[in-house]
Amino acid sequence: MTRLRAEGLTLGYDDRTVVANLDVTVLDGRITAIVGANACGKSTLLRGLARLLPARDGAVYLDGRAVADMRTADVAKVLGLLPQTPVAPDGITVADLVSRGRYPHQGWFRRWTDRDHDAVTRALDATGTTDLIDRPIRDLSGGQRQRVWVAMALAQETDLLLLDEPTTYLDINHQVELLRLLRTLNAQSGKTIVVVLHDLNLACRFCDHIIAMSDGAIVAEGTPADVVSAELVQKVFGLDCLVVPDPVAGTPMVVPV
Amino acid sequence: MTATTHPATAPTGTAASALRGNRRRRRARSVLVTCALTVAVAALFVLTMMVGSFRIGAGEVVASVLHLSDNPSVDFVVRGLRLPTAATALTVGLALGASGTIFQQLLRNPLASPDFVGITSGAGFAAVTGIVLLQAGGLVVSGLALGGAVVAGLLMYVLAWRDGVTGYRFILIGIGASVFFDGLVGYVLSRARLFEARQAMHWLTGSVGQASGDELRLLCAALLVLLPVAVLLQRPLRALELGDDAARTLGTRPDLSRAGLLATAVVLVALAVAVAGPIVFVALVAGPIANRLLGPATGGIVPAALVGAALLLTADLVAVHLMPTPLPTGVVTGAVGAPYLLWLLATTNRQGAGG
Repeated sequence: MTRLRAEGLTLGYDDRTVVANLDVTVLDGRITAIVGANACGKSTLLRGLARLLPARDGAVYLDGRAVADMRTADVAKVLGLLPQTPVAPDGITVADLVSRGRYPHQGWFRRWTDRDHDAVTRALDATGTTDLIDRPIRDLSGGQRQRVWVAMALAQETDLLLLDEPTTYLDINHQVELLRLLRTLNAQSGKTIVVVLHDLNLACRFCDHIIAMSDGAIVAEGTPADVVSAELVQKVFGLDCLVVPDPVAGTPMVVPV
Repeated sequence: MTATTHPATAPTGTAASALRGNRRRRRARSVLVTCALTVAVAALFVLTMMVGSFRIGAGEVVASVLHLSDNPSVDFVVRGLRLPTAATALTVGLALGASGTIFQQLLRNPLASPDFVGITSGAGFAAVTGIVLLQAGGLVVSGLALGGAVVAGLLMYVLAWRDGVTGYRFILIGIGASVFFDGLVGYVLSRARLFEARQAMHWLTGSVGQASGDELRLLCAALLVLLPVAVLLQRPLRALELGDDAARTLGTRPDLSRAGLLATAVVLVALAVAVAGPIVFVALVAGPIANRLLGPATGGIVPAALVGAALLLTADLVAVHLMPTPLPTGVVTGAVGAPYLLWLLATTNRQGAGG
């Protein structure tokens, strides 16, 4: 049984349909990467899965129930998302921001509890941001900032975590660091992770499952070794390339020709 | 950043105690600031009633207000003459402070005070039209101002609506509407006879001395309802500040929370304008001052309301007692607020951020 899936999902903005009639199954306890060229609908699909975009047709199911019929506060306890461009209020400190991840677990009148405290502590620990708690977000480097946002999403303590292009604007070192962090989280807590990525090599290296999209449709799906080939890269990105084994991990590596 | 602690090996005890210390410091600061502001507002409130051509001691003022003493001459001066003005300054200040900080946080911009997004101007236009064309006065003018502010707020919401209301569009449309209303005010004034034009100009400057008892009671009642509502809505506001996507992810319904917050803020500012006329800059500066006291991005609505009250009480003291001739309160707040606005515009541009 899979916890998050979509059936016949159609999504769009205004009068434009971006993805049409998609069936997606997110593997429990795995890291899934959604890859594809710019404007292929990968972020749209992720936003649809996270109920940020209402379905035009079809539905997203979480634990067997249609997400559209669930209370958004209940979904927030199970499904977290790191948006592509989150906004930090001016001057907010790390501790304050990460603590706001506890929102869905707090009621209108309920005060800060030990559970909230523990969740935020674990989130800070896991992302290595404990030393930063008194610092304002705007003073942090891009890599630190992204880890703080991940910490906020972790503090939400959801079993499923979706991330929309979390490595954009990061240099290669911090991209790898962030993906390692996701791997660690997945290994330690069995968290199901779906991440939209631009870099196919990093997706192959760090993810268990790849969903390749082109023009709003899924063109291939499976483990990196099964899916990524020169033909697929040609089809999805329009790039002539060789696919060779990564010298370190043995996963597929795309080398343009 | 290069010397990153590996996630798996980070020491748990440090994080827990560091976080606990951080929370305790923030909470202590918030409690301290709120208490200090309450004391300051109470002191200013009493002080306003002590000074004047007939000086009265603090004890006598308090006793008279609380009906603990029976001294006809003191009671006449305190309850009859000074209490209405002091109470107006207090309540209008609370309403302006709360409303201003809600607007600023909601639209994520320190410039997004109700003074600038057309709501105050809408009230001004309605009131001036009433004074000039209908020769209205008192409660009618207040009612018109209230209606004008609410209509302007609704108009803004409808015009700025496109897949939800976003900050910049709201502000730009608000500035446009503001200029439009001010233009209409100018037209109406140019058609007015001298007496009415003078009346209208006096109203437009804003003064806490012009409120009637009925208006004051209405504002008090509204504050008793709306301030607790604002405090409750502070919770979704904290999520909304992170952007609509994050707010929805955290389990709020952004459009619903925003509508509730805007409605609260519009009614608060509309009532304040109805009672005292458009007193500028209090709503603009109260939130940032409260944030400066509390620490960044804390966004406390109650502390901002208290700052608003303290500012307006002080402005009234200055306007009435420190000036050679008593001035309308709005003149003082404007004179103090304008340099702040210039500073805000200068620094906002330098950071390249809207807020």
